[in-house]
Amino acid sequence: MTSLSDRYVDTTLRRLPPRQRTDIERELRAAIADAVDDRLAAGADADEAEVAALTELGDPARLAAGYADRPLHLIGPGLYLDYTRLLTTLLATVVPAVAGVVGFTHGVQELPVLTVIGDTLSAAFTTAVQIAFWTTVVFAMIERTPALRLPDRAWTPDSLPAPPPSRRARWGELVAESVALVLVSTFVLLAPVVSPETDANGEPINIFDPWLWDTGFVYVFLTLAAATLAFSFVRYYVRWTLPLAIAGALVNVAAAVTLIWAAATDHMINPAFVAAAGWPAEAANWINVGLIVIAIGTLLHTVTESFRQARLH
Amino acid sequence: MPEDELLSTHLQELRRGTVVLACLLILERPNYGYALLDLLERHGFAVDANTLYPLLRRLEKQGLLTSDWNTDEARPRKFYRSTERGTALAGALGRDWDQLDTALRTLKGES
Repeated sequence: MTSLSDRYVDTTLRRLPPRQRTDIERELRAAIADAVDDRLAAGADADEAEVAALTELGDPARLAAGYADRPLHLIGPGLYLDYTRLLTTLLATVVPAVAGVVGFTHGVQELPVLTVIGDTLSAAFTTAVQIAFWTTVVFAMIERTPALRLPDRAWTPDSLPAPPPSRRARWGELVAESVALVLVSTFVLLAPVVSPETDANGEPINIFDPWLWDTGFVYVFLTLAAATLAFSFVRYYVRWTLPLAIAGALVNVAAAVTLIWAAATDHMINPAFVAAAGWPAEAANWINVGLIVIAIGTLLHTVTESFRQARLH
Repeated sequence: MPEDELLSTHLQELRRGTVVLACLLILERPNYGYALLDLLERHGFAVDANTLYPLLRRLEKQGLLTSDWNTDEARPRKFYRSTERGTALAGALGRDWDQLDTALRTLKGES
């Protein structure tokens, strides 16, 4: 066996998993030797015979691919659907976004219309080409690297993509919600003792209806508000479950309904405060209407959000 | 696509599988890779060494062939032989082939 055959065998084996190498090497060397002998018997000289035998065996990369049962195409059937899905999603979202941003920023600069259109189209085109190129490169690498692929390509519901992070309360929302709750609670709890208006005895006049304190309603409401915030935190940190989602939605609904009820029964604003502050007579009504609108908005949001999340799971 | 490329694509699709059947039939008597290549060619089955050697391995992995290293001669060679399962599969494939042949003849007779 000369160096040419050795190089051929080595090149083939290098592309194969180590545990297959020994057996395939023996087999391959025997096959080459047989082919060479055949040609020597037919009267060829040794070098010719070897070159002809190896030529007949063909590209070692192709041979190794056959031995390893490895596909010789770029994006194979196993990854094709993932590939097209990701590519479609990226193209459908990123390209319009880039085009929108470029069109908007250039439009704001009051460039000529044709320039704006041209720049927008060329930015969209470049983005599309980049996305297609890099997605293809990544998938080709995954396809060629068995370690990167899932061992079992069979689809199960478990392989469904994780719900997008947007289903969770975002961190910024969480912070804003916490700050708002602390401010509102402080304001409400201090209202009986701190007020811009004082009565004849110099006592502060509560902006809120004292009825809320007399009945303990205010504490129910603050508790529900705190529970709403707690569920927002839970939703941020804990996996979505049906019981958790229902409990969270119910707390939200309870808080909103409580607010609506207090506002609708005119138990929110202290009439004495409105009089002392010299507000128009209708002010309390408008505040009530505003609070009811906010509460209904919260309700609708809770309901639609629940539907959306339930569909995701 | 040039005409002969079109032809070769369709021929390849048409013949895919016949090499498997031919191997299983020939290897009811043990034989080694290079001799099998030669036999196939002489019986009119054009197959590349590049395709045949990996195919033999695959069939062995599927339990249709078994192999043994014969070290009696000067050059050790891997001899393949059809298993019972391989022979059974060859029978089934052969019957299917006959049915297809009959069906095609009927089609051609009708037209």
